[in-house]
Order: sequence, then C-alpha cells, then structure tokens
Amino acid sequence: MLNDPYHAGTADELPPSEEQLVAYLDGELDDESSRSLEQRLATDSGLRSQLGRLERTWDMLDQLGRAEVGEAFTRTTIEMVALAAEQEQQQEEAERPVRRRRRLFVGAAGILASLAAGFLLVWALWPNPNRQLLEDLPVLERLDEYRQIDGIEFLELLHKRGVFAGEGDNDGV
Amino acid sequence: MECGRDAPAAAGTIRVSPTGTELVVTESSARRYALRDPDVRLMLEVRDDNAAAFEELMLRYQGRVVTVLEHATGNRDLAEDLAQDVFLRMYRARKRYVPGAKFSTWLFTIANNVALNALRSRARRHEVTLEGRESGPLGVRPLEAMIAASSGQIPARAIDKAEARDVVQMAIQGLNERQRMAVLLSKFEGMSYAEIAESMDLSVQAIKSLLSRARNNLREVLEPYLDRGQRPGSEVESQPAETEADSIRGEAEGD
Repeated sequence: MLNDPYHAGTADELPPSEEQLVAYLDGELDDESSRSLEQRLATDSGLRSQLGRLERTWDMLDQLGRAEVGEAFTRTTIEMVALAAEQEQQQEEAERPVRRRRRLFVGAAGILASLAAGFLLVWALWPNPNRQLLEDLPVLERLDEYRQIDGIEFLELLHKRGVFAGEGDNDGV
Repeated sequence: MECGRDAPAAAGTIRVSPTGTELVVTESSARRYALRDPDVRLMLEVRDDNAAAFEELMLRYQGRVVTVLEHATGNRDLAEDLAQDVFLRMYRARKRYVPGAKFSTWLFTIANNVALNALRSRARRHEVTLEGRESGPLGVRPLEAMIAASSGQIPARAIDKAEARDVVQMAIQGLNERQRMAVLLSKFEGMSYAEIAESMDLSVQAIKSLLSRARNNLREVLEPYLDRGQRPGSEVESQPAETEADSIRGEAEGD
C-alpha cells in the first residue's frame, strides 16, 4: 500500500510523493487517497506550500497562450487534402482494369472449380447401372442354362458333388 | 492512432492498429463512442467521403493542433507544417477509421507521432529550437543550465507578459520530448492520464512518472522567476541537476 502510487498514505505513513501530489492536482487520485491527502493538507503547512508551488508553476503555462490560425492555413490545408483526394481517385481509376481482370479470372476459376467438384460428386454418388451389369455378367452369360434350374439349393448340391470342379469358385454364383 | 481493419479476431470485435500497437474494439464500444462524441460522428462521415465534415473537423481542431505542436517544437512555422501533415494523415486514414476512443485522443496520437518524428529528425540535424533568441551557452542540457543559473543573484525586476512567456517557453523546451508532449496534452487538451497514455502509446504509470518529473522540472526553473524574477541566465554553475538520461531512466522505471 505504501508503494502504491495512487495511495496518498495516512498521517502515520510516509509523506505523499510528488507523483501523488501531481496526480491529486490533475484529479487522477482515487477517492480514498484524495481524502487521505486532504486530511494531511489540513494539518501540514509544508505540504500545502509544496502543493501550492506545483500549482502556481503549472498555471504559468497559461502564459504560452493558444495559437490563432489564419485563413491561409485552412485554405492551403484543404487544397493539400483535395490534391491527395484527386491523386487517390486517379490511382483507383488506373488500378480498375487490373482489378476487373483479376475479378474475372477469380470468377472463372471459381466456376470451373465448382463444375469440377460437382462432376466428381455426381460421379462418386450416382449409381452406375453398367457397374451392376458388369458384376452380373458371368450369370448373364449362362442365363439360359440357369433358367432350367429351380433354385439355388440345387446348384449348391451339384457344387458339393463336384459337378463344377475346375471352374472358379464364384463363377456364376 | 492509425486505425486498421484486419480479419476480425472473433465475432463482434474489430481490430484497431494504432501506430503498431493492436487493440481490440468491440462493436458496442465503437457505437458508444459514436453516440457520445460528435467529433467521432463527423469522422465517420469523413470516412464516407463527406468533404464538409472534414472541413468542419479541421476548423474545430486546427488551432488546438497548432498550439500543441508550436509549444512542442518552439517554432510556429514548423508547427503549421506539421499540423498540415497531421490533417493529411487524418484524411488518408479515414477509410480505416474505427472509433476506439474519443476523436481527440485519436487525432493527437497522430499529432504526437508527427511531432516526435520532427523533433528527432531535428535533433539529428542539431537545429536550434528556440525562435527569436540569440544562442547562448546553455549547451546540450538547457534545463540543467537554467536550473543552475537560476541560483545566481540577479536583481528582481518586474515581470511582464512577454518575458514570462519567454521564460515559460524556455522551461518547456528544457523538458525532454516525452515530458513536453505529456505536459502539453495535459495542459492544453485537458486529457486524462489514460487518454495521454493512449495517444503516446505508453502505460498510465509511465505518464504519471513523466508528468511528475516534468512538473518538478518546470517548478525548479519557474519558481525562482516567480519569486525573485530570476530568469535563466547565461552563466552556468556546476550544480547537479537531473540529466536527460536520469529523466528517461526514471520514466522507464515508471513503466
């Protein structure tokens, strides 16, 4: 607490630092610290004198005065800004064709990419009737023969008896 | 504080980049500044290319900006040139403007940067800072010289306004750049420590230290003048005084 620059200290603690006095004059001290400092100021004439000296020399800065600015300054400043605005506009116009080409390129690339993505998606998800036909080709090649058979159990029986020995395991089954 | 718009950090936030330091301003905070500060609303119109709004802002602030820059540089002509630079930068930054503070804080951030750049550039070129005065043997550390000289015995004389202004100007010029700018923003713009800290891109504690040291330095130079009419003379006695390095070191410890 003693080292807290915002804390002005109590009567039993160290005297307030110059930093705290300046903060008090600038209204930057917290309420508690301000009250504590004011209590000390009420009884400490040396502290009051120190504060007064700080305040007095600060008030002297009013001697510096505030600048009066003439119309010439306003006019020339606005002219400078107007010139900057014109240069900005010219630069924008010079860059416009480049930006337009860039936008067209990006747009075209985007469309192509979308088309490619769409094609790949459809190709991956759309059922291919030919695929099924290819898988069923061995069956289709002997369809007339298989039509003579009543059911799959008869074929399994024949397979067990070795009728299909020498042929592929999955051939037609 | 130059404002920049980057990709939002999160929903509802706008990133503001004042002179390299990034802050995040919420949309509600930006709206609040727009509601409370009429100058913020004007600047938003400037952002939308309203020329009349720009002229209005300029008329409101040109005197204030020139005042601070004149006392910061000690040169009226330079101050006007720098002030024009400030308004030009303000115009160029308009599209990126996001209200993250009072308008005056934003504008004087630009003014502070312009002033510091000019002062450092001038220091590198070793230009004389005081107008209308003969160069005296105040040397590299005018503040030390003034404090030392003010201990001499000079007959009191009546204080006149022009002389007082001269003495105060010398006292101000005897401060280092940051102390001077903090004093001017506090005195002439009535800025709070937080606002000065934002404009100067320093911590509030650093501003407290700056102002405390600055006011102490001013008191040491001006008090003898007020009490006995002793103005900073040409004789330099070898008395210890706070050097620029000590001052800057002290301010750094306050950060």
